[in-house]
Amino acid sequence: MDQRSWFHAELEDITREIVLLAAHVTEAIPAATEALLTGDLDAAQRVIDHDDVLDDLALDIEERCYRALARQQPVASDLRALMTAIRMVAEIERSGDLVVNICKALCALRAPDLSPEIRGVLQQMGEQAVGLHRTCMDAYADGDVTLARSLDLLDDELDRLHADFLEAVVRWGEDGSVRDAIQLALIGRYYERIGDHAVNIGERVRYLIEGELPVHGSLS
Amino acid sequence: MSRTAAVILAAAVPTAVLLLVLLVSWRARRRTRQRLHAATTRLASGTVPESPRLEPALAELERAVDQAVSRGGDANASETRLAKALEAIHDGVVLLDDAGDIVFTNARAATFLGARHGEALVESAIDELARTALTGEPATQTLELFGPPRRTLVLSADPLDDGHRNTGALVVIEDVTERRRVDAVRRDFVANISHELKTPVGGLGVLAETIVDEDDLGVIRRLAARIHHEAMRASRTIDDLLELSRIEAGDSTPREPVAVHLVLAEAVERAAGAAEHRGIALDLREPPHDLVVRGDRRQLSSAIFNLLDNAIKYSQPGSTVRVGATADPAAGTAALVVGDDGIGIPRRDLERIFERFYRVDRARSRDTGGTGLGLAIVRHVASNHGGEISVESREGEGSTFTLTLPLGDPRRTVTTQED
Repeated sequence: MDQRSWFHAELEDITREIVLLAAHVTEAIPAATEALLTGDLDAAQRVIDHDDVLDDLALDIEERCYRALARQQPVASDLRALMTAIRMVAEIERSGDLVVNICKALCALRAPDLSPEIRGVLQQMGEQAVGLHRTCMDAYADGDVTLARSLDLLDDELDRLHADFLEAVVRWGEDGSVRDAIQLALIGRYYERIGDHAVNIGERVRYLIEGELPVHGSLS
Repeated sequence: MSRTAAVILAAAVPTAVLLLVLLVSWRARRRTRQRLHAATTRLASGTVPESPRLEPALAELERAVDQAVSRGGDANASETRLAKALEAIHDGVVLLDDAGDIVFTNARAATFLGARHGEALVESAIDELARTALTGEPATQTLELFGPPRRTLVLSADPLDDGHRNTGALVVIEDVTERRRVDAVRRDFVANISHELKTPVGGLGVLAETIVDEDDLGVIRRLAARIHHEAMRASRTIDDLLELSRIEAGDSTPREPVAVHLVLAEAVERAAGAAEHRGIALDLREPPHDLVVRGDRRQLSSAIFNLLDNAIKYSQPGSTVRVGATADPAAGTAALVVGDDGIGIPRRDLERIFERFYRVDRARSRDTGGTGLGLAIVRHVASNHGGEISVESREGEGSTFTLTLPLGDPRRTVTTQED
């Protein structure tokens, strides 16, 4: 195999691995949400433990990217593809860490009996966060700029849910403990950040295809 | 002398040349015959008699070619048949060669290859299991995919060999979601029914036993009231069980046209007491009187009553429970809808709430005095009428139950109230 076709096969492999890495996260988000809603600490621990797989895979992809850079010294769209891959791995890996944080916060809750209102919004935040991650990976895998642009709207909805959630926690906090209210507020924040990472991935996809870096101020 | 010699020479040279040519040509033909024979033998399954002549050898070869072609056709047909059989299997099938490269996938398995999101994990699991199987060790793994839709897949990989060495691996992907669900329903039902029936009966026994040794009239009165309470509960459970089996056995359900507004009015009337008691308003949006469905009025109003009763139990005092109906003439159905702004139902319980005795929150539903059979009754009424029951719910926002039924003929309606 000559150098160029080696490079393109490698690039395809890297894309495939990134899709797989993101799949671990899109599965971990609902797993964490369900653990939270059922107060299942064992399930939460399984999500936490599974993060090692994700971290190993992320490191592996990153190293492949560096090797490809060193061997081929690509330019133009090939270079963009590799740089995007490196950035995306970091964003996805960070989202995975946030899912772990959700599970750790769950373990720190003293009374995991949440009000129906809080549970309802949590469920929706979980679904919205998964939706954002699925959409940004679809945009990446299909090279779909329009889809990548739609992420901002999806994220606005998650931000709105986050605000609702904080309101619900405040109302609940009047009977519940301050300590638990703080954990819950953090959990809400983690979901919100997971959405932001999906938006960042979307911006990377737009850079990959259109070659323009996101304008300052549009990054959340 | 020299003439004679010349004549002899003149005759001998062409003869020698001719003989030489004949010899060469004979040897060439023999080689050709031998090659033909060798090829024929290779083609045919057994040995073929060596023919001394070219023509029969050629015929032999043609016959062998014909046979081989038809055998090849058979092999193709059998391969096609096997591939079709693997397609027909409800599991995903992936066949790998000894190098670990995929040589066959059926359509079900193919959906996982190159897939995204959760399903991409299936492909990497196939890869990993196949690698183990190629070392000669079978391997299995269970994957819980959150989807949506939520699925449980069992992957198993087995090594393949030809008796001497590994020739590859077979990976089978089985979707056990439905089987696991049915298992859980059965397991929970048995546990729940014994609990629902034994708890009040056990309570009755203990209470009665206490009364026997009790002299204080006040205590006796209190215990008797508790006995009454427990007996009522057991009785309600038995009533609902009987109702359920009556509906379940109901292939004789009359299919007469029933006016929906009467069904709703009857159910609202029955639920009014409970609603008032809990401080909940019932908002009946009466449908047009010509909205008619086919079915049994008593069963239908019992179903709507059960939905109202639930909505009332799981709503906050001061809130409103809505009930109404609309027609969808295009689909030939009517939708009877009961909605509330109550606590809602957790997502994971949504598909299970229509099971007998299924409880989302055991401690809470015990306080409400429900039997755990209301929604099971509704589901059976729906299926008895060729309709269906569906629910949309969000925790903290409320639930909406929709009973969809086939429309009836309004001209043949019994509009008078009976019973």
